[in-house]
Amino acid sequence: MTARKPQRRARPKSTRVVGQPGLRVDAVTKVDGSARYIDDLRFPDMLYAAVRTSDLPHAEVLRIDVTDAQQVPGVVVVATFRDVPGQNQVGCVRPDQPLLVETRARWIGDRVALIAATDAATAQAAARVVKIDAVPLPGVFDVEQALVTGAPALHAGGNQIEEFRIERGDVERAMRQADVVVENRYVAPWQEHAYLETQGVIAVPERGGMTVYGSMQCPFYVQSAVARLLGLPMSRVRVVQTITGGAFGGKEDYPSEPACCAALLAHKSGRPVKFVYNREQDIQWSTKRHRMVILHRLAARHDGTLLGADIEILVDAGAYCGLTGIVAERANSSSIGPYLVPNVRVYTRTIYTNNPFGGAFRGFGAPQATLAHEGQLDALAERLGRDPLDLRRQNAVRPYAVTAWGEKLAPPVEYLDTLAAAEKMANWKVLRAQVEAHNQAGGRTRLGLGVGSCMYGSCLHAGGQHLEGCGALAQVHKDGSVSVAIGLTEMGQGAATVAARIAAEILGVEAAQVEVLPTDTALVPDSGPTVASRTTPMAGHAVADAARQLRAQLLPVAAGLLGCRASQVEFAGGWVRGAGRKKLTFAEVAMAAFRAKVHLAASGWYAPPRKKHDRTTGLGQPYSAYAYATQIALVEVDLVTGAACAKKFFCAHDVGRAIFPEGVRGQIEGGAVQGMGYALTERLVVRDGRILNPNFTDYLIPTIHDMPEVAIALIETGDEGGAKGHGTANQAKGPYGAKGIGEPSLIPAPAALANAVSHALGVRMTELPLLPDVIMAEIARRNLDNVPFV
Amino acid sequence: MAVSEADLGRSPVALTINGRRTVLDAAPGERLLDALRRAGWLDVKESCGEGECGSCTVLLDGRAVCSCLLLAQSAEGAEVVTVAATGQPVVAALRQAFVDEMGTQCGFCTPGMVLAAAELLSATTEPDVEQIKRALAGNLCRCTGYHRIVRAVQRAADDLRQEVAP
Repeated sequence: MTARKPQRRARPKSTRVVGQPGLRVDAVTKVDGSARYIDDLRFPDMLYAAVRTSDLPHAEVLRIDVTDAQQVPGVVVVATFRDVPGQNQVGCVRPDQPLLVETRARWIGDRVALIAATDAATAQAAARVVKIDAVPLPGVFDVEQALVTGAPALHAGGNQIEEFRIERGDVERAMRQADVVVENRYVAPWQEHAYLETQGVIAVPERGGMTVYGSMQCPFYVQSAVARLLGLPMSRVRVVQTITGGAFGGKEDYPSEPACCAALLAHKSGRPVKFVYNREQDIQWSTKRHRMVILHRLAARHDGTLLGADIEILVDAGAYCGLTGIVAERANSSSIGPYLVPNVRVYTRTIYTNNPFGGAFRGFGAPQATLAHEGQLDALAERLGRDPLDLRRQNAVRPYAVTAWGEKLAPPVEYLDTLAAAEKMANWKVLRAQVEAHNQAGGRTRLGLGVGSCMYGSCLHAGGQHLEGCGALAQVHKDGSVSVAIGLTEMGQGAATVAARIAAEILGVEAAQVEVLPTDTALVPDSGPTVASRTTPMAGHAVADAARQLRAQLLPVAAGLLGCRASQVEFAGGWVRGAGRKKLTFAEVAMAAFRAKVHLAASGWYAPPRKKHDRTTGLGQPYSAYAYATQIALVEVDLVTGAACAKKFFCAHDVGRAIFPEGVRGQIEGGAVQGMGYALTERLVVRDGRILNPNFTDYLIPTIHDMPEVAIALIETGDEGGAKGHGTANQAKGPYGAKGIGEPSLIPAPAALANAVSHALGVRMTELPLLPDVIMAEIARRNLDNVPFV
Repeated sequence: MAVSEADLGRSPVALTINGRRTVLDAAPGERLLDALRRAGWLDVKESCGEGECGSCTVLLDGRAVCSCLLLAQSAEGAEVVTVAATGQPVVAALRQAFVDEMGTQCGFCTPGMVLAAAELLSATTEPDVEQIKRALAGNLCRCTGYHRIVRAVQRAADDLRQEVAP
């Protein structure tokens, strides 16, 4: 198979900073130790918080006695639900989650009492002596069990929370008329974020309100939550993000909970309160990637043409809804993949259990859905004796084709470009033949080569478009330096560098001249959450808007100084030039503008065009744009130990346009490895709702020894529209045509690895993680270990 | 977990931190990590507190150790180096290489990574990839996938060799 010629590769618009080599703007302070994270900050008279959680996963709480806790020397205040001045509520989307238990505990992480003391150890000791008089209730720890009639109900109205669908065509007829139907049940388990910096906040009572500093993705969520809890107007609650040591979705919705705890204690004591989790608390209490059970029937003709998909997804929310509905909406929308399927029925339900709390995690339901659709494509390829890539190519989404959800795709549609690029990098046909030859030789190891593709809906789903806007504030100082604040956060992914680069490009300065300020609700308007790989597209446009306004303010000043027309002025590389040979530094123009009392601050804003989408049928336009990706993984399975080891990844990603190419590559390397952890080693052991391995000895995230080789191809079809470009009608991309990369870097990886291990063993692996015990069981079942070793 | 500061008999621990002779006022049972952070060395990071992740790594007499697993009082007379050290050519070369190779994303594991690599590069001028992996096997990173960390260590080794060779 020859690689396809890339379609309509736009000639890159000449840019000096965007798309060019260069480093992170925040690296130096991170390597010299001067970067200050939340636990590095102290305030005068600061207290330390601790929480007492429920001992039982489901219980009626009769009495909470804090007398002993109050008497521990060093304890300053103790708070229960009775101390909440506003609403005792932290539900992110639905008001189903109290901050503090009133009469019922629904999971192990439910808080009963809060303590603030002069040091953390005292606070912890006091938390232990809070007396809870509770009666155990029967629990439910499985989504399928939770739906059975008579199952213990967690909330009034039963355990099913919401449902989402895609219904198009006649799926039953497609199943009847098909030559082949493959049917499998996939189980995508929980995953722990394992950011290296644990959750942490400091709440500081001031000016009749509350200021919260903390490690977080979404300061505006925290602002809303604290205002509701304390009964304050939002104007009295200010939230400032501190340098954040990794998040991956785990600091999207969740930080509102420790923030509300600290804010309540700060309110009651009148003193600053720090609440930083230790690792065990962090793993036990914070949200997880949702466990999902996916039943998938895929129908096709003998020739490989897909006819129909019938998909049922059960999502374990845990005890409260949190963001589960939004995650389920993305899983529902991502369940078909980049394929044309004329008849579909997707039915996704979210379900309460007494299990750990499901929340946002890089990919947001898509990795689970992708595990299933990619497993099914491979299962079908095997049944039909087809090459997995050829079968995908045959059914691939194409420009002007209509998707399973009834959306006509405007060009460019880069899926096949990613497939071709990954195929070429891997030298697929040759490598696959080598792998099969190795396996036929019958040694101690088996090799497997697997593919995973995804069609990632960039930015928020139509269901969340009321949050889809972003603000920025930019200033040119009189010395020519530039500062920028954006409404979305830097959490390690490189957002600050992207913002600096876009401002620098437009103002004709170097990225290093642009200071990106911490995200602060007092500086920028509510920009929604830092999620959905939306920071580059959304904050990028907002910064571009602000920078263009500043440039327009500077233009007449520069033209006056240079004696030319405004249209002849050029800003580039820190210099400002006109028609003649005379040139000025950017700083000279800035100073002249300042002295002429030109307004040198600008507020930028961006919101994409509205999308039309029918929630009941799931039809319409769920996303503004799609980012496609194909990853191919090579694994080696040891038949003696059962260990599966990823040797190589070949990752081809449609990024529209890489604003910060090395940053994009860094995201892909890290995302693929995080997906590898999900597929191969990360298993949360949960019994009766409690996590039994809340540490890094028993929950295994990849170490440097697990690092596979990663080859990367970037597909860049970004349009010529520059910072203004929204592309074609339904391709509302980021500035310069950029699409997000944070999540697509991870989404196909678990599926590619599951397919690779399936290829190695000759059996479809449908449940993650593929730890040695799982693989040994398959080896024993199939007598693979009867092969004599060389 | 910080040990309660109240009512515990403290005793002085004399040691050198980043070239400065210092006396830490350490409580019995206090971890070196907490004593260093209390003394203002906030570049030493706590992530797991159990010796599993390497974020709190410091050099103790040239050896990379988890400061969460050591009692402060056991550091009496020792020479401690953290990532903020000046006048340490190996640490300085690694810091620069972590910037240049983008070996840092969120940055929380970076001080520990740099110091674990510093022990290696102090002993080995031309480490191969396997040696680098062995040296950093106790340091977890959740962002980078480790590729650029390996490259940063290789680059620092190259830079240090070039500094030595005229």
